[in-house]
Amino acid sequence: MATWWIGCCGKPQMARALIVGYGNPLRGDDALGLLAADRLRALLPEVAILTCHQLAPELAATLAECDAAIFLDATAEGTPGTVAVTRLAPQSSSAASLTHHVSPQTLLELAQTLYGHTPRALLVTGAGESFAPRHEASPTVASFVPRQQEIPTVPSAEYAESLSPSAREALEKICRLVPELLRGFPALW
Amino acid sequence: MPTIIIDPVTRIEGHSKITIQLDNEGQVQDAHFHVTQVRGFEKLCEGRPFTEMPALMARICGICPTSHLLASSKACDDIMAVRIPETAEKLRRIMNLAQITQSHALSFFYLSSPDFLLGMDSDPVERNIMGVVRKFPQMARDGIKLRQFGQRVLETLGGKRVHPGWIVPGGVSHPLQASQRDAILAEIPEAIRITRAALQWFKGQIESFRAEVRSFANFPSLFLAMANDTNEFSAYNGWLRFIDANLNVVADNITGTDYLNYIGESCNNDSYLKSTYFKPLGLKDGVYRVGPLARLNMCKSAGTPQADEELAEFRELERHSVLSSFYYHYARLIEILFSVERMQTLLNDPEILGQNVRAHATPNQYEGVGILEAPRGTLIHHYKIDQNGLIESANMIIATGHNNQAINHGVLQVARQFIKGKKLEQGMLNRVEAVVRAFDPCLSCSTHAAGMMPLDIQLLDADGNMVDRLLR
Repeated sequence: MATWWIGCCGKPQMARALIVGYGNPLRGDDALGLLAADRLRALLPEVAILTCHQLAPELAATLAECDAAIFLDATAEGTPGTVAVTRLAPQSSSAASLTHHVSPQTLLELAQTLYGHTPRALLVTGAGESFAPRHEASPTVASFVPRQQEIPTVPSAEYAESLSPSAREALEKICRLVPELLRGFPALW
Repeated sequence: MPTIIIDPVTRIEGHSKITIQLDNEGQVQDAHFHVTQVRGFEKLCEGRPFTEMPALMARICGICPTSHLLASSKACDDIMAVRIPETAEKLRRIMNLAQITQSHALSFFYLSSPDFLLGMDSDPVERNIMGVVRKFPQMARDGIKLRQFGQRVLETLGGKRVHPGWIVPGGVSHPLQASQRDAILAEIPEAIRITRAALQWFKGQIESFRAEVRSFANFPSLFLAMANDTNEFSAYNGWLRFIDANLNVVADNITGTDYLNYIGESCNNDSYLKSTYFKPLGLKDGVYRVGPLARLNMCKSAGTPQADEELAEFRELERHSVLSSFYYHYARLIEILFSVERMQTLLNDPEILGQNVRAHATPNQYEGVGILEAPRGTLIHHYKIDQNGLIESANMIIATGHNNQAINHGVLQVARQFIKGKKLEQGMLNRVEAVVRAFDPCLSCSTHAAGMMPLDIQLLDADGNMVDRLLR
């Protein structure tokens, strides 16, 4: 786990921060969280950044080692292009079977219950407008997927081409906002 | 006729429902397991290049994409008529074992452990994985860690935990690095510790589940699994063998070229899941089971020391085949132990770092069949191509299809054991679901799309009127 000094005012605090971007890169604007996390790797090289298709319970152990966590996701709700920040609290779901995916709140609950610590957490969502499946790869992606299934495992910037203009706007906002949120820890959280 | 409908069945992979029909006296007359959504991957494949099949087929399911990736690649190997490099075969075996590990861990710890730990009759609000997390956190941590181990192996080799790549027609796309091998090996002792602890705990619980052992699809049937010359546990290479309840071999040396002589498929009017059967005996009498129970009944030894110890103890359950499907859970844990031990052996083989990992060829025949033991049982991919290498037809027989008739038998058996009268109770309802869960059905592969799975059980009277219903 990478550590990062966060907190911009007064005495900085040593806090372990984690950013998790998730979504489906084959469903247009749903890739927003993935792409934002991918871009933030360059902007925040000291911060641990994970990307995944969907949240799974195995992430709870990693979260338990953090003091601050930011989840990045796309949403179909709200005005396209807008970004929302929600403070998250641990929350249990009795219906959860944990087989396919879990919510960020359930992950926080798992981290607290199983490992005795859960981070302060925020959910940053960008509103998209088109979540239709991408039927064809962009020419660039197609050029490095020759004959078999060697699909890149890290979301490529090329996926950004499939975002709607609104989602691209949200992407830019998220990339500006997240470093500020980290600097504002813990006052803003 | 009164009918109880459970729709959908919970804590399984996929959408299904159960109907239970009562007679005029309120006694269970019949019961059926229905798969309610169609997926149709066989049709989607038509017209696509055969080289696309592994990647396309891996998208059938988020739980067992690796199994489909492997079976599909084996079918493509067959079309190209290549023998893949030895290192590639070993690497593919590791992928399959990792898949078995993570899938079985999910089934045991995430889906079924609430029944064992919290009780079949406990409040359904609590009887789920979150209930386990709250009351048995060490078991939950172990389950998460074991599944994470399997997924890390898949991610290390295949690039991703879900829908990995790397397995290609002719072998694998690139060699294993020493650092990757060492990272996996370092985690193996802890995986073995967790599995052995779970086995010890589960064996101690069996006595308190005597009623379930007696009634959970506990009947004589045939068993189908992969076999080989050594009669050791086999999950990747070999031929198919049917044995009966007395461990007699009834059909052997079945390969991709003649499996259709032995395995028939029947469509059902009330389900999108086909029922397979042992053709020589017909649909009614040709019921067989696949998966962990079948594999452990089939093999003479596991082939690894700790799993062999456990297998010897497992065999003491019965004089002949172990027949109760409740023991699928037990068999699953033994298979995890075997898988982790075998991975360790394969990774310690110096050849595992070999650089020759792929054979290249164009199609050399118009038909190919890939057979594999997936976590839930025997998996068959069968493709026919045209002269341009485009798929003309695809046939997939999935473990849950093999088990469909046995699942139906089990639902009826449990319903008769536990349902009395026209009032439904949660504990009864859960046992009807739990017998399905014992098979760990994965319906995505067979037909459907994944999603949330609420429970709806309807009890119908002799005239088909609903007399009671439970929803959650």
